[in-house]
Amino acid sequence: MSLVAVGLSHHTSPVAMRERLGFPAHTLPNALLHLANRLDKAGTVILSTCNRVEIYAHYAGEAAVARDEIRAFLGEWHEIPETDFKDALYEHEGRDAVGHLFRVASGLDSLVIGETQILGQVHDAYIAAQAEQTADKVIHNLFQSAFTVAKHVRSQTAVGEGKVSVSSVAVDLAASIFGELTGKSVMVIGSGEMGELTLKSLVAHGVKSVLVVNRHPERAQALAAQYDGEALPFESLSDHLHKADIVITTTAAPRTILHANDFHHALKLRQQAPTLVIDIAVPRDVDADVGELDNIYLYNIDDLEQVVNENIEVRRREIEQCLAIAERGVDQFMHWMGSLIVAPTITSMAREFEIIRERETQKTLASLPDLTEKQRYELEYLTKRIVSNILKRPMTEIKHEVGHHDPGTVVHLVKRLFGIEESM
Amino acid sequence: MVVGLHVAFYLGSLLYCCAGVLSLTYLWKGDARVLQYGVRLVWGGTAALLAMFAIRWTLYGRVPLTSLLDSLNLFLILSGTLMVLITRKHNVSTLLSFYLPPLAAVSLGSAVIAHRYLTEAPILLQRAPLVIHVGLAFLAYSLFFAAGMTSAAYLCHMSHLKHHRTTWLTRRMPSLQELDTMLSRLLLYAYPLFVLTLAQGLIWAWLDPSPLGPQWWFAPKVVLSFVMVLFYACAVHLRFAGMLRGPKLSYLVLFGFAILLVLYVGLSLAGLRGYHFWSGQA
Repeated sequence: MSLVAVGLSHHTSPVAMRERLGFPAHTLPNALLHLANRLDKAGTVILSTCNRVEIYAHYAGEAAVARDEIRAFLGEWHEIPETDFKDALYEHEGRDAVGHLFRVASGLDSLVIGETQILGQVHDAYIAAQAEQTADKVIHNLFQSAFTVAKHVRSQTAVGEGKVSVSSVAVDLAASIFGELTGKSVMVIGSGEMGELTLKSLVAHGVKSVLVVNRHPERAQALAAQYDGEALPFESLSDHLHKADIVITTTAAPRTILHANDFHHALKLRQQAPTLVIDIAVPRDVDADVGELDNIYLYNIDDLEQVVNENIEVRRREIEQCLAIAERGVDQFMHWMGSLIVAPTITSMAREFEIIRERETQKTLASLPDLTEKQRYELEYLTKRIVSNILKRPMTEIKHEVGHHDPGTVVHLVKRLFGIEESM
Repeated sequence: MVVGLHVAFYLGSLLYCCAGVLSLTYLWKGDARVLQYGVRLVWGGTAALLAMFAIRWTLYGRVPLTSLLDSLNLFLILSGTLMVLITRKHNVSTLLSFYLPPLAAVSLGSAVIAHRYLTEAPILLQRAPLVIHVGLAFLAYSLFFAAGMTSAAYLCHMSHLKHHRTTWLTRRMPSLQELDTMLSRLLLYAYPLFVLTLAQGLIWAWLDPSPLGPQWWFAPKVVLSFVMVLFYACAVHLRFAGMLRGPKLSYLVLFGFAILLVLYVGLSLAGLRGYHFWSGQA
């Protein structure tokens, strides 16, 4: 019985290669069935995303055979010679395969460490395998364990905290100030690409009212129309400033266009409600003094990038703790897997002892014909208790050992010690 | 029973202190489980202090509300319960890191002075309205305390955002707007309760001034209480008129809480809590 993971990712291959070996959603069911049949009804899951293509298989035979078959399947399915992609492939088996999946599901192997999208993709891959009935008991437990580990990594460390793009940091800041963004209003001044991206993120998070200010009215109207917003003339900017909870400035103006006085007036009209000002323009659109005002939170592009860098650093610092959580998950899974492997051996061992006990008891009883029914029963009961007590410790130890050593070796040793193979 | 009294009190104080330490550890480590243990310790501490309250009542046959130790005990019971319920209702457990350390300090302080008061019979409160007056006053103090600590949390969070420091704490803190809303609501509950408490005490003292002496309304405690009423009236009015919000309101509430501390603990320690102050029998 072997567990293997074969695949390629952004670490080992360029995007062109991943595109060629990817499995679009509509081909996935057939690919799963084809692969499972090829591996003698093995449990299989195919994980195909823009950053990785991986196949997980639980195969009844040797791991090397499973790996060869998966490589051959990839080549045949995509009609690409194996030599074209062999060097980009990584192959894991047993404990390494389990650890790899746990790291992938937890976002520790992702391009952006700690991202959560991959967990959804792993989940989708598992659901697809379930739908095609290629997820057997071991695969089922493997993926459930991966989801649990990912959840622990997320809840017990800060690896998923803090956004790592400028637009999502802006959304995070807005949430830190306003909580729910539903019903909030945003004003975009200018038409820079980054500003639009930030606006898009804010709208996606519930911002309803959009005001667009631009020196060119047609540009303002075009952007406002996209978000069902209102276009305002540039000259009336300070008159409408109080309407915005979030102000994004992204103009190409050579000098600052918003000053402390403008916000001072706006704050009065807003009854001191807080305002987040995101100045993405270079040179800056908002005078630095604005940041000194109470209830105004001013961030320029450098500040936002600094937050992004800090968040990336925080995620990096958490990796060690995340890996430790993943490793504990691997230990638990391998222990369960080991107990699956040794279960038949333990049953055989118990049966072997029972045969010996039965044989020897019958011999003894035959030589003692004068015993009463009660005495015969007591003797039988005595032998059963002795055997049960003798077996108790080896059984516990075997179950314990398979969690820490190769289950195959443990099984082999037990079989040799108790001569189980000979009697089976 | 006296042994039980000591065990309940010191156990309650210890549990509160441990809860405070755990909530500070959360600020340092960021592990949410630490805070969950802290909440359990608060419940344990509250139960132990309630037991101490019940034992003292049974032992001396008087409601234990009048000594400094009894007052601090009641304050801890009410505040601890209130803080846990507030943070649970608003799903803002991070705020416990601001609420529990001061409670732990109060608990430590009461443990230090306990030997003077623990086995001393409480002063008899002659009328039932007085018991209600003291109970309501402490509920109002607890709400003002919660408002003060919420202000501290607001200022801390605001300072981080102003200076572009985004630590794990800023990500787990409630938003500034939520803190501002919580602060406003706490003031909205605490202020009328405080006014009601004073009004009730005033009516009782007016109807039956004999135990308090002829010049009870000039006692430092009464004068400061009315200063507090005016102070919080201004704060509540400015907040709801939209003239005061955010950092300025937070500073004001913190200042108000500092006066409240002087009003209660300061006057108690200085021996100025009596109503006969101007007649020389304080």
